[in-house]
Amino acid sequence: MSIAIHVRNLVKQYTFHRKEAGLLGTFKSLFMRQSFYANAVQDISFEVEEGEIVGFLGPNGAGKTTTLKMLSGILYPTSGTIEVLGMRPQDRRNELKRQFGIVMGQKEQLTRVLPAMDSFKLFKEFYSLPDTEYQETLNELVDLLEVHEYLDIPVRKLSLGQRMKCELIGALLHNPRVLFLDEPTIGLDVVAQKNIRDFIKKYNQKRKTTIMLTSHYMDDIKELCERVIIINFGRIIYDGKLSTLITEYATDKLIRVSATESIPKEVLERFGTVEEYQGVRATILVPRKEVKAIASKLMASDLPIDDIGIDEMPIDDVIRAIFAAH
Amino acid sequence: MRQQLRQAAAIINSAWQRNLAYRFTVVTYRLGEIIEIVVLVLMWTAIYAAGTTTIKGFSLNEMITYVLIGNVFSAAVRNFIPGYVSRDIEQGRLSMFLVRPISYMKFVFINELGRSFLATLLSVLTQIGIVLLFLDRVVINNDPGQLLLILIMVFLAVIIELLLGFLIGTIAFWTDETDGLHTTIERVKRFFSGGYFPLALLPAALATVSFYLPFQYSFYAPAMLYLGKLSFWEGVTGLLVQLAWIALLSVIVSIVWKMGLKRYEAAGS
Repeated sequence: MSIAIHVRNLVKQYTFHRKEAGLLGTFKSLFMRQSFYANAVQDISFEVEEGEIVGFLGPNGAGKTTTLKMLSGILYPTSGTIEVLGMRPQDRRNELKRQFGIVMGQKEQLTRVLPAMDSFKLFKEFYSLPDTEYQETLNELVDLLEVHEYLDIPVRKLSLGQRMKCELIGALLHNPRVLFLDEPTIGLDVVAQKNIRDFIKKYNQKRKTTIMLTSHYMDDIKELCERVIIINFGRIIYDGKLSTLITEYATDKLIRVSATESIPKEVLERFGTVEEYQGVRATILVPRKEVKAIASKLMASDLPIDDIGIDEMPIDDVIRAIFAAH
Repeated sequence: MRQQLRQAAAIINSAWQRNLAYRFTVVTYRLGEIIEIVVLVLMWTAIYAAGTTTIKGFSLNEMITYVLIGNVFSAAVRNFIPGYVSRDIEQGRLSMFLVRPISYMKFVFINELGRSFLATLLSVLTQIGIVLLFLDRVVINNDPGQLLLILIMVFLAVIIELLLGFLIGTIAFWTDETDGLHTTIERVKRFFSGGYFPLALLPAALATVSFYLPFQYSFYAPAMLYLGKLSFWEGVTGLLVQLAWIALLSVIVSIVWKMGLKRYEAAGS
Protein backbone atom coordinates (compact mmCIF):
# COMPACT_ATOMS: atom_id res chain seq x y z
CA MET A 1 0.00 0.00 0.00
CA SER A 2 1.33 3.39 -0.86
CA ILE A 3 0.81 6.57 1.11
CA ALA A 4 -1.77 8.93 -0.40
CA ILE A 5 -1.62 11.73 2.14
CA HIS A 6 1.33 12.71 4.20
CA VAL A 7 1.11 15.53 6.78
CA ARG A 8 4.01 16.61 8.97
CA ASN A 9 3.92 19.27 11.73
CA LEU A 10 1.15 21.19 10.04
CA VAL A 11 0.23 24.58 11.52
CA LYS A 12 -2.36 27.13 10.41
CA GLN A 13 -2.52 30.47 12.10
CA TYR A 14 -5.32 32.94 11.52
CA THR A 15 -5.01 36.67 12.13
CA PHE A 16 -7.97 38.54 13.49
CA HIS A 17 -8.80 41.86 15.04
CA ARG A 18 -10.86 42.67 18.06
CA LYS A 19 -13.29 45.52 18.18
CA GLU A 20 -15.01 46.87 21.27
CA ALA A 21 -18.77 46.95 20.99
CA GLY A 22 -20.49 50.14 19.88
CA LEU A 23 -19.69 53.16 17.76
CA LEU A 24 -16.81 54.34 19.94
CA GLY A 25 -15.22 50.92 19.70
CA THR A 26 -15.52 51.02 15.93
CA PHE A 27 -13.93 54.47 15.87
CA LYS A 28 -11.08 53.36 18.09
CA SER A 29 -10.45 50.30 15.95
CA LEU A 30 -9.91 52.57 12.95
CA PHE A 31 -6.76 53.95 14.54
CA MET A 32 -5.55 51.35 16.96
CA ARG A 33 -6.03 47.96 15.50
CA GLN A 34 -4.36 45.20 17.35
CA SER A 35 -3.71 41.92 15.61
CA PHE A 36 -4.36 38.68 17.37
CA TYR A 37 -3.35 35.25 16.28
CA ALA A 38 -5.18 32.02 16.71
CA ASN A 39 -3.84 28.65 15.82
CA ALA A 40 -6.62 26.78 14.07
CA VAL A 41 -4.32 23.83 13.57
CA GLN A 42 -1.28 23.33 15.76
CA ASP A 43 1.35 20.88 14.77
CA ILE A 44 -0.55 17.89 13.46
CA SER A 45 1.01 14.93 11.68
CA PHE A 46 -0.58 11.88 10.11
CA GLU A 47 -0.51 9.62 7.09
CA VAL A 48 -3.31 8.11 5.06
CA GLU A 49 -2.85 5.05 2.91
CA GLU A 50 -4.34 4.76 -0.51
CA GLY A 51 -7.85 3.32 -0.43
CA GLU A 52 -8.42 4.12 3.25
CA ILE A 53 -11.46 5.92 4.62
CA VAL A 54 -10.42 8.06 7.55
CA GLY A 55 -12.92 9.82 9.77
CA PHE A 56 -11.95 13.22 11.03
CA LEU A 57 -13.79 13.90 14.23
CA GLY A 58 -14.02 16.87 16.53
CA PRO A 59 -16.27 19.62 17.84
CA ASN A 60 -16.93 22.88 15.97
CA GLY A 61 -13.80 24.93 15.53
CA ALA A 62 -11.50 22.01 16.26
CA GLY A 63 -9.64 22.50 13.00
CA LYS A 64 -11.16 19.77 10.84
CA THR A 65 -12.32 22.00 8.02
CA THR A 66 -9.14 24.06 8.14
CA THR A 67 -7.11 20.89 7.71
CA LEU A 68 -9.20 19.70 4.77
CA LYS A 69 -8.86 23.13 3.16
CA MET A 70 -5.10 22.91 3.45
CA LEU A 71 -5.09 19.35 2.09
CA SER A 72 -7.01 20.54 -0.96
CA GLY A 73 -4.84 23.61 -1.51
CA ILE A 74 -7.53 26.18 -0.72
CA LEU A 75 -5.62 27.49 2.29
CA TYR A 76 -1.93 28.09 2.51
CA PRO A 77 -0.37 26.44 5.57
CA THR A 78 1.49 28.64 8.04
CA SER A 79 4.15 25.97 8.51
CA GLY A 80 4.69 22.26 8.17
CA THR A 81 4.53 20.04 5.12
CA ILE A 82 1.70 18.40 3.24
CA GLU A 83 1.94 15.93 0.41
CA VAL A 84 -1.08 14.62 -1.41
CA LEU A 85 -0.23 11.98 -4.00
CA GLY A 86 3.35 13.17 -3.75
CA MET A 87 2.57 16.83 -4.50
CA ARG A 88 2.25 19.96 -2.38
CA PRO A 89 -1.40 21.04 -2.54
CA GLN A 90 -0.53 24.72 -1.95
CA ASP A 91 1.28 24.73 -5.29
CA ARG A 92 -2.15 24.16 -6.83
CA ARG A 93 -0.85 22.15 -9.73
CA ASN A 94 -3.43 21.00 -12.26
CA GLU A 95 -1.86 17.57 -12.19
CA LEU A 96 -2.93 17.23 -8.57
CA LYS A 97 -6.28 18.95 -8.99
CA ARG A 98 -7.25 16.35 -11.57
CA GLN A 99 -6.75 13.63 -8.99
CA PHE A 100 -8.75 14.82 -6.01
CA GLY A 101 -12.25 16.03 -5.36
CA ILE A 102 -13.79 17.93 -2.48
CA VAL A 103 -17.34 18.38 -1.23
CA MET A 104 -18.07 20.98 1.39
CA GLY A 105 -21.44 20.47 3.01
CA GLN A 106 -21.86 24.15 3.70
CA LYS A 107 -20.49 25.53 0.47
CA GLU A 108 -22.18 25.00 -2.86
CA GLN A 109 -20.06 24.37 -5.89
CA LEU A 110 -22.97 23.99 -8.27
CA THR A 111 -24.54 27.12 -9.71
CA ARG A 112 -27.74 27.70 -7.77
CA VAL A 113 -29.86 29.25 -10.48
CA LEU A 114 -29.13 26.50 -13.02
CA PRO A 115 -29.90 22.78 -13.06
CA ALA A 116 -27.07 20.56 -11.79
CA MET A 117 -26.61 19.20 -15.31
CA ASP A 118 -25.36 22.61 -16.49
CA SER A 119 -22.71 22.72 -13.77
CA PHE A 120 -21.65 19.17 -14.63
CA LYS A 121 -21.13 20.18 -18.25
CA LEU A 122 -19.00 23.11 -17.13
CA PHE A 123 -16.92 20.86 -14.87
CA LYS A 124 -16.48 18.43 -17.74
CA GLU A 125 -14.75 21.20 -19.69
CA PHE A 126 -12.71 22.33 -16.66
CA TYR A 127 -11.20 18.84 -16.54
CA SER A 128 -11.26 18.38 -20.34
CA LEU A 129 -13.00 15.02 -19.91
CA PRO A 130 -13.60 13.04 -23.09
CA ASP A 131 -17.31 12.72 -23.98
CA THR A 132 -17.56 8.96 -23.55
CA GLU A 133 -15.69 8.85 -20.26
CA TYR A 134 -17.77 11.71 -18.89
CA GLN A 135 -21.03 10.11 -19.98
CA GLU A 136 -20.10 6.76 -18.45
CA THR A 137 -19.10 8.23 -15.10
CA LEU A 138 -22.15 10.46 -15.01
CA ASN A 139 -24.54 7.60 -15.76
CA GLU A 140 -22.95 5.44 -13.12
CA LEU A 141 -23.11 8.14 -10.45
CA VAL A 142 -26.65 9.11 -11.35
CA ASP A 143 -27.71 5.48 -11.05
CA LEU A 144 -25.93 4.93 -7.75
CA LEU A 145 -27.39 8.07 -6.22
CA GLU A 146 -30.79 7.78 -7.92
CA VAL A 147 -31.05 11.39 -8.98
CA HIS A 148 -32.39 10.99 -12.53
CA GLU A 149 -35.40 13.20 -11.91
CA TYR A 150 -33.53 16.10 -10.34
CA LEU A 151 -30.91 16.84 -12.94
CA ASP A 152 -32.93 19.38 -14.94
CA ILE A 153 -34.28 21.33 -11.97
CA PRO A 154 -32.44 24.49 -10.80
CA VAL A 155 -30.26 23.52 -7.85
CA ARG A 156 -31.83 26.08 -5.51
CA LYS A 157 -35.18 24.27 -5.87
CA LEU A 158 -33.77 20.95 -4.68
CA SER A 159 -33.99 19.63 -1.16
CA LEU A 160 -30.79 19.59 0.86
CA GLY A 161 -30.42 15.83 0.40
CA GLN A 162 -30.93 15.99 -3.36
CA ARG A 163 -28.53 18.90 -3.59
CA MET A 164 -25.85 17.07 -1.65
CA LYS A 165 -26.15 14.09 -3.99
CA CYS A 166 -25.62 16.42 -6.93
CA GLU A 167 -22.65 18.05 -5.19
CA LEU A 168 -21.13 14.60 -4.77
CA ILE A 169 -21.54 13.89 -8.48
CA GLY A 170 -19.90 17.23 -9.26
CA ALA A 171 -16.88 16.24 -7.19
CA LEU A 172 -16.59 12.75 -8.66
CA LEU A 173 -17.05 13.32 -12.40
CA HIS A 174 -13.31 13.22 -12.96
CA ASN A 175 -12.83 9.97 -11.02
CA PRO A 176 -10.55 11.37 -8.32
CA ARG A 177 -8.13 9.13 -6.46
CA VAL A 178 -8.54 11.15 -3.28
CA LEU A 179 -11.81 12.56 -1.98
CA PHE A 180 -12.26 15.09 0.80
CA LEU A 181 -15.71 15.27 2.33
CA ASP A 182 -16.40 18.08 4.77
CA GLU A 183 -19.64 17.42 6.62
CA PRO A 184 -21.35 15.75 3.66
CA THR A 185 -24.41 14.87 5.73
CA ILE A 186 -24.85 18.11 7.66
CA GLY A 187 -28.46 19.14 8.10
CA LEU A 188 -29.83 16.03 6.39
CA ASP A 189 -32.59 13.87 7.81
CA VAL A 190 -31.79 10.36 8.96
CA VAL A 191 -32.84 8.69 5.70
CA ALA A 192 -30.90 11.10 3.50
CA GLN A 193 -27.87 10.73 5.77
CA LYS A 194 -28.00 6.99 5.37
CA ASN A 195 -28.30 7.26 1.57
CA ILE A 196 -25.21 9.42 1.35
CA ARG A 197 -23.34 7.15 3.72
CA ASP A 198 -24.25 4.01 1.77
CA PHE A 199 -23.12 5.67 -1.40
CA ILE A 200 -19.75 6.68 0.03
CA LYS A 201 -19.21 3.15 1.27
CA LYS A 202 -20.11 1.55 -2.05
CA TYR A 203 -18.05 4.06 -3.97
CA ASN A 204 -14.97 3.44 -1.85
CA GLN A 205 -15.30 -0.34 -2.18
CA LYS A 206 -15.68 -0.12 -5.92
CA ARG A 207 -13.09 2.52 -6.75
CA LYS A 208 -10.67 2.18 -3.85
CA THR A 209 -10.76 5.95 -3.54
CA THR A 210 -8.91 7.38 -0.57
CA ILE A 211 -11.46 9.30 1.48
CA MET A 212 -11.05 11.76 4.33
CA LEU A 213 -14.33 12.66 5.89
CA THR A 214 -15.34 15.05 8.63
CA SER A 215 -18.63 14.76 10.38
CA HIS A 216 -20.50 15.72 13.49
CA TYR A 217 -22.54 12.57 13.26
CA MET A 218 -21.10 9.52 14.95
CA ASP A 219 -23.20 7.27 12.72
CA ASP A 220 -21.28 8.46 9.67
CA ILE A 221 -17.99 7.63 11.29
CA LYS A 222 -19.15 4.31 12.72
CA GLU A 223 -20.57 3.15 9.41
CA LEU A 224 -17.76 4.29 7.18
CA CYS A 225 -14.45 4.53 8.94
CA GLU A 226 -12.27 1.90 10.46
CA ARG A 227 -9.83 4.56 11.42
CA VAL A 228 -10.55 7.86 13.12
CA ILE A 229 -8.47 10.90 13.81
CA ILE A 230 -9.87 12.88 16.69
CA ILE A 231 -8.91 16.51 16.80
CA ASN A 232 -9.65 19.17 19.36
CA PHE A 233 -8.27 22.69 19.74
CA GLY A 234 -6.17 22.08 16.64
CA ARG A 235 -4.35 19.05 18.02
CA ILE A 236 -4.73 15.37 17.31
CA ILE A 237 -5.77 13.58 20.46
CA TYR A 238 -6.39 10.16 18.97
CA ASP A 239 -5.39 8.48 15.74
CA GLY A 240 -6.17 4.83 15.34
CA LYS A 241 -8.81 2.18 14.91
CA LEU A 242 -12.30 2.99 16.04
CA SER A 243 -12.50 -0.35 17.85
CA THR A 244 -9.28 0.25 19.77
CA LEU A 245 -10.54 3.65 20.80
CA ILE A 246 -13.26 1.98 22.82
CA THR A 247 -11.05 -0.48 24.67
CA GLU A 248 -8.39 2.16 25.22
CA TYR A 249 -10.51 5.02 26.40
CA ALA A 250 -13.66 3.42 27.75
CA THR A 251 -12.66 2.57 31.28
CA ASP A 252 -16.21 1.43 32.01
CA LYS A 253 -18.50 -1.21 30.58
CA LEU A 254 -22.25 -1.49 30.62
CA ILE A 255 -24.25 -4.23 32.29
CA ARG A 256 -27.78 -4.52 30.95
CA VAL A 257 -30.21 -6.01 33.40
CA SER A 258 -33.73 -7.17 32.68
CA ALA A 259 -35.92 -8.40 35.50
CA THR A 260 -39.26 -10.13 35.90
CA GLU A 261 -40.45 -7.43 38.26
CA SER A 262 -39.35 -3.89 39.01
CA ILE A 263 -36.17 -3.50 41.06
CA PRO A 264 -35.79 -0.27 43.06
CA LYS A 265 -33.15 2.06 41.67
CA GLU A 266 -31.36 2.37 45.02
CA VAL A 267 -30.75 -1.38 45.05
CA LEU A 268 -29.12 -1.31 41.61
CA GLU A 269 -26.99 1.66 42.57
CA ARG A 270 -25.14 -0.55 45.03
CA PHE A 271 -23.58 -2.32 42.02
CA GLY A 272 -22.57 0.73 39.94
CA THR A 273 -23.78 3.93 38.31
CA VAL A 274 -27.28 3.48 36.95
CA GLU A 275 -27.33 4.96 33.44
CA GLU A 276 -30.83 4.11 32.35
CA TYR A 277 -33.65 2.99 34.57
CA GLN A 278 -37.08 1.69 33.58
CA GLY A 279 -37.96 -0.53 36.54
CA VAL A 280 -37.73 -3.95 34.89
CA ARG A 281 -34.90 -2.85 32.63
CA ALA A 282 -31.76 -0.93 33.53
CA THR A 283 -28.18 -0.35 32.45
CA ILE A 284 -25.44 -0.03 35.01
CA LEU A 285 -22.04 1.50 34.35
CA VAL A 286 -19.24 -0.41 36.04
CA PRO A 287 -15.43 -0.27 35.89
CA ARG A 288 -14.03 -2.48 33.13
CA LYS A 289 -11.89 -4.50 35.54
CA GLU A 290 -14.74 -5.36 37.87
CA VAL A 291 -17.34 -6.16 35.28
CA LYS A 292 -17.13 -9.94 35.68
CA ALA A 293 -17.23 -9.86 39.45
CA ILE A 294 -20.18 -7.50 39.53
CA ALA A 295 -22.07 -9.47 36.91
CA SER A 296 -21.77 -12.68 38.90
CA LYS A 297 -22.69 -10.85 42.09
CA LEU A 298 -25.85 -9.65 40.35
CA MET A 299 -26.70 -13.15 39.18
CA ALA A 300 -26.03 -14.62 42.61
CA SER A 301 -28.19 -12.03 44.37
CA ASP A 302 -31.80 -12.76 45.24
CA LEU A 303 -33.04 -10.01 42.91
CA PRO A 304 -35.68 -11.09 40.36
CA ILE A 305 -33.18 -10.91 37.49
CA ASP A 306 -34.18 -12.56 34.25
CA ASP A 307 -31.16 -11.85 32.08
CA ILE A 308 -28.00 -9.80 32.06
CA GLY A 309 -25.76 -8.71 29.21
CA ILE A 310 -22.41 -6.96 29.04
CA ASP A 311 -21.80 -4.22 26.47
CA GLU A 312 -19.18 -1.71 25.50
CA MET A 313 -20.03 1.93 26.14
CA PRO A 314 -21.51 3.67 23.10
CA ILE A 315 -18.77 5.28 21.04
CA ASP A 316 -20.49 8.66 21.32
CA ASP A 317 -20.09 8.56 25.08
CA VAL A 318 -16.47 7.49 24.79
CA ILE A 319 -15.68 10.39 22.52
CA ARG A 320 -17.59 12.80 24.69
CA ALA A 321 -15.49 11.56 27.58
CA ILE A 322 -12.31 12.14 25.59
CA PHE A 323 -13.31 15.70 24.71
CA ALA A 324 -14.27 16.34 28.32
CA ALA A 325 -10.89 15.08 29.49
CA HIS A 326 -8.90 17.33 27.15
CA MET B 1 -6.33 24.74 -28.66
CA ARG B 2 -9.58 22.97 -29.45
CA GLN B 3 -9.87 22.04 -25.78
CA GLN B 4 -9.36 25.69 -24.80
CA LEU B 5 -12.10 26.81 -27.15
CA ARG B 6 -14.49 24.20 -25.78
CA GLN B 7 -13.72 25.39 -22.27
CA ALA B 8 -14.35 29.00 -23.26
CA ALA B 9 -17.58 28.07 -25.01
CA ALA B 10 -18.82 26.21 -21.92
CA ILE B 11 -18.02 29.17 -19.65
CA ILE B 12 -19.71 31.67 -21.96
CA ASN B 13 -22.71 29.39 -22.34
CA SER B 14 -23.06 29.16 -18.58
CA ALA B 15 -22.67 32.92 -18.17
CA TRP B 16 -25.41 33.58 -20.71
CA GLN B 17 -27.79 31.18 -19.06
CA ARG B 18 -27.27 32.72 -15.65
CA ASN B 19 -27.83 36.19 -17.03
CA LEU B 20 -31.06 35.43 -18.74
CA ALA B 21 -32.44 35.83 -15.23
CA TYR B 22 -31.47 39.51 -15.24
CA ARG B 23 -32.92 40.79 -18.50
CA PHE B 24 -34.79 43.60 -16.80
CA THR B 25 -31.62 44.93 -15.14
CA VAL B 26 -29.91 45.13 -18.50
CA VAL B 27 -32.70 47.27 -19.90
CA THR B 28 -32.96 49.56 -16.88
CA TYR B 29 -29.24 50.29 -16.96
CA ARG B 30 -29.63 51.65 -20.49
CA LEU B 31 -32.20 54.15 -19.30
CA GLY B 32 -29.73 55.71 -16.87
CA GLU B 33 -27.07 55.95 -19.55
CA ILE B 34 -29.37 57.75 -21.94
CA ILE B 35 -30.39 60.28 -19.30
CA GLU B 36 -26.80 60.94 -18.26
CA ILE B 37 -25.67 61.66 -21.79
CA VAL B 38 -28.64 63.81 -22.71
CA VAL B 39 -27.96 65.87 -19.57
CA LEU B 40 -24.30 66.31 -20.57
CA VAL B 41 -25.28 67.44 -24.06
CA LEU B 42 -27.79 69.92 -22.64
CA MET B 43 -25.22 71.21 -20.17
CA TRP B 44 -22.61 71.94 -22.83
CA THR B 45 -25.26 73.53 -25.05
CA ALA B 46 -26.19 75.85 -22.19
CA ILE B 47 -22.54 76.74 -21.50
CA TYR B 48 -21.85 77.60 -25.13
CA ALA B 49 -25.11 79.54 -25.34
CA ALA B 50 -23.65 81.92 -22.77
CA GLY B 51 -21.57 83.42 -25.55
CA THR B 52 -18.42 81.44 -26.19
CA THR B 53 -17.92 79.77 -29.55
CA THR B 54 -14.94 77.65 -28.54
CA ILE B 55 -13.56 76.33 -25.26
CA LYS B 56 -9.89 75.30 -25.47
CA GLY B 57 -10.36 74.80 -29.19
CA PHE B 58 -13.60 72.78 -28.89
CA SER B 59 -16.60 74.07 -30.80
CA LEU B 60 -20.03 73.11 -29.43
CA ASN B 61 -20.44 70.39 -32.04
CA GLU B 62 -17.00 69.02 -31.26
CA MET B 63 -17.83 69.00 -27.55
CA ILE B 64 -21.09 67.14 -28.16
CA THR B 65 -19.30 64.69 -30.43
CA TYR B 66 -16.70 64.19 -27.71
CA VAL B 67 -19.36 63.30 -25.15
CA LEU B 68 -21.32 61.02 -27.47
CA ILE B 69 -18.48 59.14 -29.16
CA GLY B 70 -16.43 58.91 -25.96
CA ASN B 71 -19.34 57.19 -24.25
CA VAL B 72 -19.56 54.64 -27.05
CA PHE B 73 -15.91 53.71 -26.34
CA SER B 74 -16.42 53.77 -22.62
CA ALA B 75 -19.40 51.41 -22.92
CA ALA B 76 -17.35 49.04 -25.03
CA VAL B 77 -14.45 48.74 -22.57
CA ARG B 78 -16.35 48.72 -19.29
CA ASN B 79 -16.57 45.58 -17.14
CA PHE B 80 -17.94 44.50 -13.79
CA ILE B 81 -14.98 42.45 -12.73
CA PRO B 82 -14.03 44.28 -9.49
CA GLY B 83 -17.36 43.49 -7.81
CA TYR B 84 -17.37 39.99 -9.19
CA VAL B 85 -13.88 39.10 -7.99
CA SER B 86 -14.25 40.72 -4.57
CA ARG B 87 -17.54 38.89 -3.97
CA ASP B 88 -15.92 35.57 -4.83
CA ILE B 89 -13.10 36.30 -2.41
CA GLU B 90 -15.31 37.59 0.40
CA GLN B 91 -17.86 34.81 0.15
CA GLY B 92 -15.32 32.07 -0.40
CA ARG B 93 -16.63 31.04 -3.83
CA LEU B 94 -13.05 31.32 -5.04
CA SER B 95 -12.35 28.02 -3.27
CA MET B 96 -14.32 26.20 -5.92
CA PHE B 97 -11.87 27.33 -8.59
CA LEU B 98 -8.76 26.70 -6.53
CA VAL B 99 -9.56 23.00 -6.34
CA ARG B 100 -10.33 22.60 -10.03
CA PRO B 101 -7.86 22.55 -12.91
CA ILE B 102 -8.76 25.94 -14.32
CA SER B 103 -7.20 29.35 -13.78
CA TYR B 104 -9.56 31.65 -11.94
CA MET B 105 -8.40 34.69 -13.89
CA LYS B 106 -9.00 32.95 -17.16
CA PHE B 107 -12.45 31.93 -15.98
CA VAL B 108 -13.31 35.46 -14.86
CA PHE B 109 -12.15 37.05 -18.11
CA ILE B 110 -13.98 34.61 -20.36
CA ASN B 111 -17.01 34.72 -18.10
CA GLU B 112 -17.00 38.53 -18.17
CA LEU B 113 -16.72 38.62 -21.95
CA GLY B 114 -19.64 36.21 -22.13
CA ARG B 115 -21.61 37.82 -19.36
CA SER B 116 -21.23 41.38 -20.56
CA PHE B 117 -21.49 40.57 -24.23
CA LEU B 118 -25.21 41.23 -24.34
CA ALA B 119 -25.05 44.15 -21.94
CA THR B 120 -22.12 45.75 -23.74
CA LEU B 121 -23.66 45.19 -27.12
CA LEU B 122 -26.89 46.79 -25.96
CA SER B 123 -24.97 49.60 -24.32
CA VAL B 124 -22.92 50.33 -27.42
CA LEU B 125 -26.05 50.16 -29.54
CA THR B 126 -27.79 52.59 -27.18
CA GLN B 127 -24.85 54.97 -27.40
CA ILE B 128 -24.81 54.73 -31.18
CA GLY B 129 -28.55 55.37 -31.09
CA ILE B 130 -27.94 58.56 -29.16
CA VAL B 131 -25.23 59.56 -31.61
CA LEU B 132 -27.73 59.14 -34.43
CA LEU B 133 -30.27 61.22 -32.49
CA PHE B 134 -27.85 64.14 -32.44
CA LEU B 135 -26.49 63.38 -35.89
CA ASP B 136 -26.81 66.96 -37.14
CA ARG B 137 -24.42 68.06 -34.38
CA VAL B 138 -21.93 65.20 -34.68
CA VAL B 139 -18.60 65.64 -36.42
CA ILE B 140 -18.07 62.84 -38.95
CA ASN B 141 -14.69 61.16 -39.35
CA ASN B 142 -14.27 58.59 -42.11
CA ASP B 143 -10.50 58.38 -42.37
CA PRO B 144 -9.90 54.59 -42.49
CA GLY B 145 -6.39 54.86 -41.00
CA GLN B 146 -7.61 56.80 -37.98
CA LEU B 147 -10.63 54.56 -37.51
CA LEU B 148 -8.39 51.48 -37.54
CA LEU B 149 -6.11 53.11 -35.00
CA ILE B 150 -9.13 53.87 -32.80
CA LEU B 151 -10.29 50.25 -33.09
CA ILE B 152 -6.89 48.92 -31.97
CA MET B 153 -6.78 51.45 -29.12
CA VAL B 154 -10.22 50.42 -27.87
CA PHE B 155 -9.28 46.74 -28.11
CA LEU B 156 -6.16 47.32 -26.01
CA ALA B 157 -8.25 49.39 -23.59
CA VAL B 158 -10.56 46.38 -23.11
CA ILE B 159 -7.53 44.31 -22.05
CA ILE B 160 -6.28 47.06 -19.73
CA GLU B 161 -9.69 47.39 -18.14
CA LEU B 162 -9.91 43.61 -17.59
CA LEU B 163 -6.52 43.59 -15.85
CA LEU B 164 -7.31 46.72 -13.84
CA GLY B 165 -10.70 45.32 -12.85
CA PHE B 166 -9.12 42.10 -11.66
CA LEU B 167 -6.49 44.01 -9.69
CA ILE B 168 -9.12 46.18 -8.01
CA GLY B 169 -11.12 43.06 -7.21
CA THR B 170 -8.19 41.48 -5.38
CA ILE B 171 -8.27 44.28 -2.79
CA ALA B 172 -10.83 42.02 -1.11
CA PHE B 173 -7.96 39.77 0.04
CA TRP B 174 -6.88 42.60 2.35
CA THR B 175 -10.14 44.16 3.45
CA ASP B 176 -13.78 43.12 3.65
CA GLU B 177 -15.08 46.58 2.90
CA THR B 178 -14.55 47.09 -0.78
CA ASP B 179 -17.72 48.83 -1.99
CA GLY B 180 -16.63 52.36 -1.10
CA LEU B 181 -13.17 51.82 -2.50
CA HIS B 182 -14.54 50.49 -5.77
CA THR B 183 -16.79 53.52 -6.19
CA THR B 184 -13.98 55.94 -5.43
CA ILE B 185 -11.60 54.20 -7.81
CA GLU B 186 -14.33 54.22 -10.47
CA ARG B 187 -14.71 58.01 -10.08
CA VAL B 188 -10.96 58.67 -10.23
CA LYS B 189 -10.70 56.44 -13.27
CA ARG B 190 -13.56 58.26 -14.95
CA PHE B 191 -11.96 61.61 -14.23
CA PHE B 192 -8.60 60.58 -15.68
CA SER B 193 -10.29 58.91 -18.63
CA GLY B 194 -11.82 62.25 -19.59
CA GLY B 195 -15.31 60.97 -18.91
CA TYR B 196 -16.42 64.10 -17.05
CA PHE B 197 -14.86 66.62 -19.45
CA PRO B 198 -12.02 66.64 -22.00
CA LEU B 199 -8.62 66.40 -20.34
CA ALA B 200 -7.50 69.30 -22.55
CA LEU B 201 -9.39 71.52 -20.13
CA LEU B 202 -7.04 70.48 -17.34
CA PRO B 203 -3.83 72.31 -16.39
CA ALA B 204 -1.01 71.17 -18.70
CA ALA B 205 0.83 69.24 -15.97
CA LEU B 206 -2.18 67.08 -15.16
CA ALA B 207 -2.88 66.48 -18.83
CA THR B 208 0.71 65.27 -19.29
CA VAL B 209 0.43 62.95 -16.31
CA SER B 210 -2.80 61.50 -17.64
CA PHE B 211 -1.12 60.78 -20.97
CA TYR B 212 1.09 58.24 -19.22
CA LEU B 213 -1.76 56.76 -17.16
CA PRO B 214 -3.77 53.93 -18.71
CA PHE B 215 -7.19 55.50 -18.14
CA GLN B 216 -7.52 58.08 -20.93
CA TYR B 217 -7.29 55.41 -23.60
CA SER B 218 -10.76 54.22 -22.67
CA PHE B 219 -12.39 57.57 -23.55
CA TYR B 220 -10.37 60.70 -24.14
CA ALA B 221 -7.65 59.47 -26.49
CA PRO B 222 -9.87 57.59 -28.96
CA ALA B 223 -12.40 60.43 -28.88
CA MET B 224 -9.67 63.00 -29.61
CA LEU B 225 -8.35 60.82 -32.42
CA TYR B 226 -11.84 60.72 -33.83
CA LEU B 227 -12.08 64.51 -33.65
CA GLY B 228 -8.69 64.79 -35.35
CA LYS B 229 -7.31 66.66 -32.34
CA LEU B 230 -4.70 63.98 -31.78
CA SER B 231 -2.43 63.21 -34.71
CA PHE B 232 -2.02 59.72 -36.10
CA TRP B 233 1.48 59.46 -34.60
CA GLU B 234 0.34 60.68 -31.21
CA GLY B 235 -2.20 57.88 -31.42
CA VAL B 236 0.50 55.32 -32.22
CA THR B 237 2.54 56.57 -29.23
CA GLY B 238 -0.61 56.03 -27.20
CA LEU B 239 -0.75 52.39 -28.33
CA LEU B 240 2.81 51.93 -27.09
CA VAL B 241 1.86 53.41 -23.71
CA GLN B 242 -1.06 50.97 -23.62
CA LEU B 243 1.15 47.99 -24.45
CA ALA B 244 3.56 49.00 -21.71
CA TRP B 245 0.66 49.16 -19.26
CA ILE B 246 -0.62 45.74 -20.30
CA ALA B 247 2.82 44.26 -19.64
CA LEU B 248 3.17 46.07 -16.33
CA LEU B 249 -0.34 45.24 -15.15
CA SER B 250 0.08 41.57 -16.06
CA VAL B 251 3.13 41.38 -13.84
CA ILE B 252 1.47 43.29 -10.99
CA VAL B 253 -1.71 41.22 -11.19
CA SER B 254 0.18 37.94 -11.02
CA ILE B 255 2.29 39.10 -8.05
CA VAL B 256 -0.67 40.54 -6.15
CA TRP B 257 -2.72 37.42 -6.88
CA LYS B 258 -0.03 35.17 -5.43
CA MET B 259 0.29 37.37 -2.35
CA GLY B 260 -3.45 37.47 -1.91
CA LEU B 261 -3.88 33.72 -2.16
CA LYS B 262 -1.48 33.26 0.74
CA ARG B 263 -3.82 35.40 2.82
CA TYR B 264 -7.01 33.85 1.52
CA GLU B 265 -9.12 32.50 4.33
CA ALA B 266 -11.87 30.78 2.35
CA ALA B 267 -14.64 32.32 4.39
CA GLY B 268 -18.13 30.97 4.50
CA SER B 269 -17.63 27.39 5.50
